[in-house]
Amino acid sequence: MSRSQVTKYLRPSTPEEALTLLRNGGKSARYVGGGADVARTLPGDVTTLIDLCTLNLSSIEESAESIVIGATATLNEVLENRSVANVCNGVVAEMMRKVGSPLLRNMATIGGTLVSAHSWSDVIPLLLVLDAEITLYDGDSRTMGLGDLYASRERFANSILTSVMIPVSGPGDYAAFHKFSRTAYDIALLNCACYVHVEEGRCTEARIAAGGTPRLATRLPQVEAALPGEALSDETIERVAQVARDTVKTADDRRASGEYRKQLIYAGVKSCLHEIAQRLEGGQ
Amino acid sequence: MIDITLTINGEKRQFAVNPGETLLELLRREGYKSVKKGCESGDCGACTIILNGRAVTSCIVFAVKADGGTILTAEGLENDGKLHPIQEAFLEEGAVQCGYCTPGMEMATYDLLSHNPDPSPLEIKEALSGNLCRCTGYVKQVKAVKTAAKKISGEAK
Repeated sequence: MSRSQVTKYLRPSTPEEALTLLRNGGKSARYVGGGADVARTLPGDVTTLIDLCTLNLSSIEESAESIVIGATATLNEVLENRSVANVCNGVVAEMMRKVGSPLLRNMATIGGTLVSAHSWSDVIPLLLVLDAEITLYDGDSRTMGLGDLYASRERFANSILTSVMIPVSGPGDYAAFHKFSRTAYDIALLNCACYVHVEEGRCTEARIAAGGTPRLATRLPQVEAALPGEALSDETIERVAQVARDTVKTADDRRASGEYRKQLIYAGVKSCLHEIAQRLEGGQ
Repeated sequence: MIDITLTINGEKRQFAVNPGETLLELLRREGYKSVKKGCESGDCGACTIILNGRAVTSCIVFAVKADGGTILTAEGLENDGKLHPIQEAFLEEGAVQCGYCTPGMEMATYDLLSHNPDPSPLEIKEALSGNLCRCTGYVKQVKAVKTAAKKISGEAK
């Protein structure tokens, strides 16, 4: 595969410089994170690549409220990080292990993953339910919820994603992730992530998201609304999974039919909530 | 052309590369033929190398990105005519058939064993999940990685 169309590979040292280079390059310029995605699917009209990995944005730091992950940290660096491992029983690492292969995860960056916004992404639904925030730079820095980025993606098209913040979890915080795919290495036919906060045996807050429906992952407010006030009994879990099957909009594509995806979202929500219920029982 | 410096198998070298050139293209044109060209989309693992300590598929790494970095290819595993324990283990366990996937598998194994000297069968399978082999059923490779782990930890004692 020839990428000989590329005539410039630029390595800025500050976000300001990167932004200027992109503005000067116009439509023929594109940011590169780990490069895995860009090298595979480079559009024919792109001739200038601007590498963001030279901005020194790959540290992972924990504060009292959140873990701040630099945008160019690789997925494996996130997977192996000890602070990240403490979030909701290691759910982030568990999800990351299902993303591609270790070879890809050593290249792919967390920022590139969130900005590429593939509809089948495993990372996006989990970070949505963990209430992750991102910081974008477009001359000024601004912080917003990850969901807000996708709600107005075009508005932020030239911005540089500089970091991702995942809140640290405390007692009563539980999360689980489930991916359906033909093989362990393949992209998801559908995936789903659930977060619940439990106090005195009852759910006080719930966030649920599904991706690969086959659209980009979104939160599922109707499904979430079925949980607060309830204990995670088999009956509750069955009812919530049925709400997911009946309300989530799915569609056909070449990987799976919309009808099949309805069964998958039912099974996915059920499996996530059962996993959480088991942890609750085990007192973990 | 962009000038870059790479340390490949212990040797510091300078190259002039095209902006869109991949590490796979550069390494093969410079004679590192253990780095195989397969899918060229990061899916098959035949071009796996160690870049700055971690296994990556060199077909989707821009060469410029590696500037200043350290690379290990299967050529660099051998030391003074003596095979690396990983290579010995692959031979002894019969994990090599046509051999096209072998250098990539060995480099993925190298990354695994550098970070996890005593992996479980599941951890071995996960580590090799990005390396396709069309001849075998992967059983012998998993065995070979176990044997390599034993050889390396034996050497360390």
